[in-house]
Amino acid sequence: MTHKIFVIEDDQPILELMELLIRKLEFEPVLVSNAIESLEMIHQDPPSLILLDIMMAPMNGWELLAWLRKDKKTRDIPVILFTASPSVREKMAELNDPHLGMLQKPVSFTELKKEIGRFLS
Amino acid sequence: MVQFGPLNRVNISHTDLVRLIVILSLTISCIVITAVSLSEHIGTIYAQLFYYPLLYATYFYPKWGLYLAGVCAVAYEILAYVYLYPDTGLLVYTTGQAVLFICIVAVVAYFTEKVNTSETRYRSIFETSLLGIVLFDQNSFAIRMTNNFLSQMLGYTPEELVGMTLPQLFVSKEEQRKFFEYLGSSEDVNNFETQFMTRGGEPLWVNLSWRRVGDNQVSCSVIDIHQRKCAEQAAEENFTRYQQVTEDSPTCIIITRDQKIMYTNPAFHHFSGYTAEELAGKDLLSFLHADDRPDFFSLLANPEKSGGKTGKLEYRFLSKNGEIRLAAAFFSSIHQKGETSQLVNLVDITEKEQLKERIEQDNERRRGIISTVAHELRTPLQPIMGYLNLLTEDPKTYGVTDETRVILDRCAKSVDRERQIINKMLELSVLDAGKIPLSYSVFSPEEMIRSVIDAGGYATKAEITVDIPHTITFEADAGKISSVIVSMISNAVNYSKPPRKIRISYQSSSSDTMHRIAIQDNGVGITNTQLDEIFEPFQLPDSGTISRKYDRIGLSLSIAKKYVQMHGGYISVDSIVNLGSTFTIHLPKNRNMAAKNS
Repeated sequence: MTHKIFVIEDDQPILELMELLIRKLEFEPVLVSNAIESLEMIHQDPPSLILLDIMMAPMNGWELLAWLRKDKKTRDIPVILFTASPSVREKMAELNDPHLGMLQKPVSFTELKKEIGRFLS
Repeated sequence: MVQFGPLNRVNISHTDLVRLIVILSLTISCIVITAVSLSEHIGTIYAQLFYYPLLYATYFYPKWGLYLAGVCAVAYEILAYVYLYPDTGLLVYTTGQAVLFICIVAVVAYFTEKVNTSETRYRSIFETSLLGIVLFDQNSFAIRMTNNFLSQMLGYTPEELVGMTLPQLFVSKEEQRKFFEYLGSSEDVNNFETQFMTRGGEPLWVNLSWRRVGDNQVSCSVIDIHQRKCAEQAAEENFTRYQQVTEDSPTCIIITRDQKIMYTNPAFHHFSGYTAEELAGKDLLSFLHADDRPDFFSLLANPEKSGGKTGKLEYRFLSKNGEIRLAAAFFSSIHQKGETSQLVNLVDITEKEQLKERIEQDNERRRGIISTVAHELRTPLQPIMGYLNLLTEDPKTYGVTDETRVILDRCAKSVDRERQIINKMLELSVLDAGKIPLSYSVFSPEEMIRSVIDAGGYATKAEITVDIPHTITFEADAGKISSVIVSMISNAVNYSKPPRKIRISYQSSSSDTMHRIAIQDNGVGITNTQLDEIFEPFQLPDSGTISRKYDRIGLSLSIAKKYVQMHGGYISVDSIVNLGSTFTIHLPKNRNMAAKNS
């Protein structure tokens, strides 16, 4: 069974690209452009990993992450913060979450492969 | 020696001698005349003759006159006995004569002595007085008489003074004018303060008081008040100076006693909006924000505790119009006449604080803008980079020929460079905000440098020698130091021409407090003017040709410099144009030093 990876991202071109890249890595991408919508979907069918954009509206990546970590069912899902914003690293360090990774946009295929590989072998 | 004359006259003066001769010759004549007249039985009337020498002597020398009267009475009695015995009636008469002139001489001596004593007393007062005394003519102002004290005071001899007029003693025409003005008013004058000129030409402050003493004479006392006056003048000058200092001071100055305001300067009136009258006697603490009072009070009560430094960084004062104003405060004690007051200096930092707040806001806004800009710049790069990667990763699927692949690789490189530039700009802006913490670990710089050389493939571009002992370890933020080393090595490689030779060595001794790593190249070198600029963002050695060639915007060195500074260290550069440069990284060995330095 292939791992299901959620890509939560409001930028359509990136979403389209990630679909291809994730397929290339032989995982099954699920693309969501709205964080609130994704919450329900994740709850119903928890994925193996989530690639999460930070700067989104109406709910941003940090808020979604907080929701996920509150729920027992989704608490341990690995989340890779996938962001173009600076200063994410400091905030991440504060959370001290072992199931949390980070990729700085723009990310190369090699970097993506490596970071996903940390959580899913 | 026999004493002649009144009181303390010890020597016989010329006058005394003349008097003495007169008295003695008269006395002897009287005795002779009396003896002759008695022997010839001419009569007893000659007893009256004795009054001349006796009264004359008594007038000048009362005591000796009395003695002389005794001698004369005895002489007269002896002569009477010799010539008149046994005529008892005449003997009684002559004895009566003798007693009578002793009595008369005694009475005269008594009064003379009394007069002499009081005159002597006055003269002695006049002469030994600690006041200068001068007697002058009311019309001609000629000095009639002065005492020793005045002549000593002014440096003249008494004779010289008597030849002068009083106005000549004044230091200036102005003082003379004042003197005449006072003298013109018929009243006697007390405590007229003026300046005399001494014989040596020095001005001397004196206090004059005078009385008219009849015969158009004026007696004037002169008190030397020079020292007092000079002290007063100095005090006045001091006072004026201090007043000027406090009144003009841009710092608020407040003097309190038992918290009550005694003095405030205009700066504080400006600061608080209150006038001096409104503040006087009020409790200083009542003008402070309630939360700041306890701290302020403890320092006001014990200024020594503050050691002259401000207690808190700022105190909030409430101005008259209800505004909160901020001030740094400095406390000290003033001891005067057994009382202790507190001196409070306030430096108005309201505007500084407002400015700081505004800068903070500006920085916050700037960080927001940078964050947004970074997001907007990076996001579009993602699809470009991703698709390029996909095409080169799987050329067959997408029908990419080898030739196309070379082109695509070049595109990917450019995108990567763009990504790095954005990252560095962002890193620098975050560093400027000073918000990055260091995460310390212990590592081997030698291993780190070798892995940097391997990862960057620098060994293929230059001949690099690394001369760092295995045993050396650094305690620092490994990620940041690694980034510094990357900048240094890539810099050395980029700014030198083949055959490139780079030597990396450890320069520190065991007693040194700093680790020092030198990176030496044989490159283009840097001129002195460029040395100051290379650590500034967007500056490059010879920006015209080299930057275009290597296409960097000089952010790496700025970041490297900041990283090393965060550790409490620094980077130094030695360079000779066309021979090469040596960049040395100085890093504290002791981690605590970093905290102190940064």
